[in-house]
Amino acid sequence: MTSEMSERVNSTAYLHPLFPITSPHGMSFADKSTDTELSSRLRDDLLDLDAWGEILATYGKTMRVAVALTDSNGCVLGNLHNAQPVWTLVHDAAHDWIGCSFCINPGVPCTAVAEALASGGVVRTHDQAGLTHVTVPLLLGKHRLGAIIAGQVFDRYPEPLALRHVAKEFGISAQPLWDVARKQRPIGSTVLQASADLLLALGQAFLQQRYASIMEAELAEANGQFRLLVNGVRDHALFTIDPTGRVTSWNGGAQHMFDYPDTKIMGQNFSCIFTFEDVQNHVPEKLLSKAAQAGQVENEECRVRGKQKHFWGDFNITALLEDGGTIRGFAIIVQDVTERRRIAILMEEAKQERGHAQERLLSHVSHELRTPLTAIYLVTTNLLDGLLGDLTPEQHEHLALAVGNVKQMTSMVDDLLDITRVESHKLTVEPQRASLVKLIAEVLSTCHKNASSKSIRLCSDLAVDQPSVWADPIRVRQILTNLIDNGIKFTPEGGAVTVGSRPLAEDSSLLCISVSDSGCGISPEDCEIIFDRLAQVKSSMQASRSGLGLGLFISRDLVSRQGGRIWVESQLGHGSTFYFTLPAFSLAKLCAHVLTAANLEAGVITLIAVDVVWVEGTVESDIVPEIRSVLERCIHPGQDILLPPLSDAEPEKAFFIVACTDSNGFEVIARRIRRELQSFDTASKLRPAISSTTLLVEPGHSHEERIDGVSVRIERMVQAHLMGKEKLQ
Amino acid sequence: MNGKKILVVDDDQDLLVGLTARLNANGYTVISATNAISAITVARKEVPDLIILDLGLPGDDGFLVLERMGGLANLVAIPVIVLSARNPIQNERRALDAGAVAFFQKPADNRQFLAAIRRTLGEPIELSTFLRT
Repeated sequence: MTSEMSERVNSTAYLHPLFPITSPHGMSFADKSTDTELSSRLRDDLLDLDAWGEILATYGKTMRVAVALTDSNGCVLGNLHNAQPVWTLVHDAAHDWIGCSFCINPGVPCTAVAEALASGGVVRTHDQAGLTHVTVPLLLGKHRLGAIIAGQVFDRYPEPLALRHVAKEFGISAQPLWDVARKQRPIGSTVLQASADLLLALGQAFLQQRYASIMEAELAEANGQFRLLVNGVRDHALFTIDPTGRVTSWNGGAQHMFDYPDTKIMGQNFSCIFTFEDVQNHVPEKLLSKAAQAGQVENEECRVRGKQKHFWGDFNITALLEDGGTIRGFAIIVQDVTERRRIAILMEEAKQERGHAQERLLSHVSHELRTPLTAIYLVTTNLLDGLLGDLTPEQHEHLALAVGNVKQMTSMVDDLLDITRVESHKLTVEPQRASLVKLIAEVLSTCHKNASSKSIRLCSDLAVDQPSVWADPIRVRQILTNLIDNGIKFTPEGGAVTVGSRPLAEDSSLLCISVSDSGCGISPEDCEIIFDRLAQVKSSMQASRSGLGLGLFISRDLVSRQGGRIWVESQLGHGSTFYFTLPAFSLAKLCAHVLTAANLEAGVITLIAVDVVWVEGTVESDIVPEIRSVLERCIHPGQDILLPPLSDAEPEKAFFIVACTDSNGFEVIARRIRRELQSFDTASKLRPAISSTTLLVEPGHSHEERIDGVSVRIERMVQAHLMGKEKLQ
Repeated sequence: MNGKKILVVDDDQDLLVGLTARLNANGYTVISATNAISAITVARKEVPDLIILDLGLPGDDGFLVLERMGGLANLVAIPVIVLSARNPIQNERRALDAGAVAFFQKPADNRQFLAAIRRTLGEPIELSTFLRT
């Protein structure tokens, strides 16, 4: 019999209404079985002929058909009813079918079992005598168990009473079948199909029933093992609590860890394992509410009361939810992490100690290197400057080389110290208002000598009217020097290094500084690692002296500490451009914490100007930092602001304070400033003139607009004051 | 020669040679001491106009010299410039608080160092100083 001759009846449409079989937990078996690997024991049990015998025999008697059970390969497991009379007609070896492949036409292999199992539906085949045989697959989810084959079926009506009896046995309705059978005489294909479906239904019902009981037995056994496992765990406390915190289960590990036998703790609130302080601070409640909100709490460490002494417990709490989402309780796992914490602390201490040791060593090395460097610097510069007699041009040139190398070595020693500070996050950055144009010009002039010795042009491309930066000028100089020196180092003779600066297009609150060279360029891989510690790209090896390779690493730290970022764009053979950003100076940002809505409305923002009349003979610019530190002492720290120099004129002759005070407060500050400046330096006879004005706000603007408005006014007043046009009163 | 007398306190003989030549060339008379005790002795005897002081000295460190000088009537007025290899982050503030007028880390730039000396001695900083470093 070939497959073309068989008709498939898809019975899945019948399966669902016929099988509302659900487990007590509300999960259907069909769903469950797809997820379960059947053990071979279970498989055997599901095809146990003794178990099937009565059902199939009843069915066969009722329907007056022959019935056989096969495994999934189509091997007959046993003849059940009327088998021999029917199937001897078509099978020579009828006496010994068991264990053989089912076959209805001699010599032709029967594919019905395989087809039925593959399609999940009933397969009908006809033998040489014209009899209809029905093959019904026995499927449990995705598992193919075997098939029931009924031969010579449906040449007569099923007997209603017997049919009902069978149907009732398996809790299914025989009515649809009976309805169809009654209406159609003689027997048509619809009855055939409905009868086949009954057989299929019988098979499935039996399987589900058997499966449920077997699975329950297996589950019970697995549960027993799981319980043993849970109880056997000794280094984790596993327990559950109800939503109010009362213990509902308590494993052996918990007994072991907390010294509470389960008999004593059941029903008690789990807070009894916490320390007194934690209970006072509602730590257990907080943990539960966190778990209730987030579903779980992971790795919360708490001090808990152990058997002998307190220990650090690592808590993992999972909320147990019902279908509706209401919390049924919590599962809690506690692990003793005292040792882990102790080790972590020791490791952290060891790491710090290593860091300190490294810093001490490098600090010592740097100190020791500086002493001979100083002597070399002094004697070579003495010679170079002709203090010990005139030099020939050649002698001069050689000495200049020596001095240049001393300077290079000095900067390497500086880097050596900086590097430990980068790693211990101790690099100091003191931002102030600074002019980038001025800083760039200064650095270009110091790098000029270095560049001209290689006939490299140093150019600048600076946007006009760019705002000042809020950065540490010493550190900006350090970054720029490093980038420009690198540019010079990797640019061949006759090339150019260009420094540019302009507001960043995407964000005008940042200024972008660029240093481009016409050197060998950097490969894309190297662009990634070039800012890492000790990164020395291959090409840099070709440069004669590459320094310590720490410059870019330090620069990156310095830039990020000042609120910017640094990156490089390059193409091999076409030069590189290094970019870094720095925040633009903003008076509004600087004064934001004083210019609050409440302060502005109360009218207690006062701008104070301190004009210092310079007495001739004093070395002016050097006293400015001193005056600034005196003024800093006279104002309320963290509240009043001593403004940075808002004009580039040197030396600074007027200092401005934005104070959060009224006119009475101003008098106090003014008196303090006069007294402090007098005692600061009697010799220089500084005579300060102190004036003030109260800043009022225009009503009807948003707070941001007010802050901006006030800062613009401050800036304007300061400029007017400095130009002598409009002095503060 | 402007006749101003500078005491250089440093235990490094080579540095003394180099610095003395530089200071002499700028018109100062230089006397030296190589440890903290002799620094005080020499300072009391010679009463220099300025002291250039190293912090890392054999026996006691430079801070002791600053402290002692603060307690001696004839030395308290002598300005001290610290010239040390030590890290300014940890030592500059401390040195200034102890009475030093300036702190330079070794090796100090000749021009800046001389400018600080002149300023401390109340001498005008002439343009020629910058040209001839």
